[in-house]
Amino acid sequence: MTSFTSRWRRSLAAAALAGTSLFSVAAASAAELVVWCWDPNFNGATMQEAFSRYQAEHPDDTINVVIFDKAAMEQKLQAQLASGSTDGLPDIVLIEDYRAQKYLQSFPGAFEPLNSHIDYSTFAPYKVELATLNGQTYSLPFDSGVTGYFYRTDLLAEAGFGPEDLENITWDQLIEIGKTVKEETGQILLPIDPTGSDWIRIMLQSAGSWYFDADGNVTIAGNPVFKAALETYQRLIASGITTPVSGWTEYTGSFTSGKTLSTFSGVWMTATIKANPDQAGQWGVAPSPRLDGVEGAGNASNLGGSSWYVLSSAPQKEMAIDFLATIWGSDVDFYQKILVNQGALGSLLAAREGEAYQASDEFFSGQPVWQNFSDWLAEIPAVNYGIFTEEADAAVVAQVPAITSGGNIDDIIAAIDAQVRQQTQ
Amino acid sequence: MVAEVETSGSMQDRRRGGAASNLARSEQINGWLFIMPALVLLGIFMVYPILWSLWMSFQVGRGMNFSFGGFANIIRLTQDPVFIRALSNTLLFLAVQVPIMLMLALLFASALNDSKLWGRGFFRTAIFLPCVTSLVAYSVIFKSIFALDGIANQALLALQLIENPINWLSDPFWARVVVISAITWRWTGYNMIFYLAAMQNIDRSIYEAAKIDGVPTWARFWFITVPMLKPVILFTAVTSTIGTLQLFDEVNLLTNGGPSDATLTLSLYIYNLSFRFMPSFGYAATVSYVIVILVGVLSLIQFLIARDRRR
Repeated sequence: MTSFTSRWRRSLAAAALAGTSLFSVAAASAAELVVWCWDPNFNGATMQEAFSRYQAEHPDDTINVVIFDKAAMEQKLQAQLASGSTDGLPDIVLIEDYRAQKYLQSFPGAFEPLNSHIDYSTFAPYKVELATLNGQTYSLPFDSGVTGYFYRTDLLAEAGFGPEDLENITWDQLIEIGKTVKEETGQILLPIDPTGSDWIRIMLQSAGSWYFDADGNVTIAGNPVFKAALETYQRLIASGITTPVSGWTEYTGSFTSGKTLSTFSGVWMTATIKANPDQAGQWGVAPSPRLDGVEGAGNASNLGGSSWYVLSSAPQKEMAIDFLATIWGSDVDFYQKILVNQGALGSLLAAREGEAYQASDEFFSGQPVWQNFSDWLAEIPAVNYGIFTEEADAAVVAQVPAITSGGNIDDIIAAIDAQVRQQTQ
Repeated sequence: MVAEVETSGSMQDRRRGGAASNLARSEQINGWLFIMPALVLLGIFMVYPILWSLWMSFQVGRGMNFSFGGFANIIRLTQDPVFIRALSNTLLFLAVQVPIMLMLALLFASALNDSKLWGRGFFRTAIFLPCVTSLVAYSVIFKSIFALDGIANQALLALQLIENPINWLSDPFWARVVVISAITWRWTGYNMIFYLAAMQNIDRSIYEAAKIDGVPTWARFWFITVPMLKPVILFTAVTSTIGTLQLFDEVNLLTNGGPSDATLTLSLYIYNLSFRFMPSFGYAATVSYVIVILVGVLSLIQFLIARDRRR
């Protein structure tokens, strides 16, 4: 018995010693930062670039950027936060702005407030607002999702359309252009994914509207913008200028392979488009179209956009915060690089004075695309995404076949409204 | 028992009886001690979560902020169009897929039970093989087969059976067809193995007697094979019902519940409520108890039907 006890004590002491030494090693250097995000060409690439700058000062530290499918990452994060086990969670996680409040409100204490480390007055106020709950701000604001209409200049020129024909047009004008293109060249203007509601979201925000108002009340039935958005969507499908695709890979593959001629999306789509260097000089960007006959409708909107969050349970919390504050929070030069390489339009206001924002881009036929995006960014109407965007999206997507097959828009709106109200109680 | 019978009537009956009951008690204690580890594990990993989820089903609130809501979740069930859709989809899959699959399995089994059939070992393996493949792997393969430019459309176009490619996964009707064929493909062989095993236990002389009496093949199948297989058919019907009610992997990977919620199942809805939407774990637990009740009721009905016919 005695020998057992003493042996046990000895091994305990050894374990404690080992623990201490491990801890001191970790504290000294050679820590690995784990980051979760979802796009190897875009946010993953910018994170790698940011860390390589941080590494210049901290040569022993490493980063492990784990890339998931976006929906899978969100569901994994939610499942793990709900389980209450913090094992295996990363240090930093990327969260899309639409979902930020859902996570912050559902899992109190899961994310680290960064107010004492980061000067939020240096970031775009709307991005800060999206990550603020009860006076605490939790994110390092990352990219904007300001939208643009990305098109193949060479293929549209075959049908006789130049950049000037796409400036500040309406959706119905775009439909006419698409019909002419189809007649002249037989080509399809746009791919559309019937399992997504991106287009509806772009249209809603372009007119300063959303599924919810500033207080979070459902604003679907009786909302003229929502009705106009669905009607425009129906006209787009009926006009024959779109082709259905299934899933993200097929969607991006459609316009990067030339099967379709254009897409409208957030500025972050630049990374995917630029991933095909052989198409340099064949792309242009115009403002996204505006809704016809809707008060307050403009040519500027937003799609997506996301920010970095530090988990309270992060093993390398100190380092994660230090890294975000020094690189993402102040390195203007870094923001110039990711703008040109990845199309990441950051939220650090000082970065917009940098030279890259003034330059034109040869990939986009020499257009001053970054200056344009910055200008459009300033025009985006602010809306409250609320905490139920996912539920509202699901309700809209459930009605897409009805919209596509020419169903009565008022009935469809009533069905969406009923479902959203039920799901958000 | 034996010891008591031997000592009954002896002078020291009371004392001996006491010893026997002591022995019985110590045996009982030992017995409980032996099964205790298993019981503790069962308690922690089965009974406790089941009771906890029952308690959860009466909780309301967003995310980790719970409060007791009484019957609020049950009232919510009755008013939830998505739940109604998920429930009717699940029941539709059940009503269409399980009978088709069990009949196919029975037909395959009786065909492959023929000892004169050439290559029956090969066919048995081939039909059973799908159920050892991973759910994810086969779902992904089905997804690529039924893509707009997938093999299914190419084959049908080449055979001139259709003029335009069918949008399998984006059309509500065809999406259901794909899901049903996928599950049927995977699970038919599994059920067939049960039937095959049971058929080999049927005494051959029964068939010989029927043959001599001039009973035709279909009648031998219908009046001998099927009744003799009744317990196994019941078993496969119950397990298939449970499996279909819990259908998740295939729909999640093939269609993600779409298009237009046409393939949304109860399990997928529970998943969405917990991990995709604003998490409402209480309501998700309520929906999962709907599955529990459905499984219980349907299994009971199947047992009753089988028992009635046995009389």
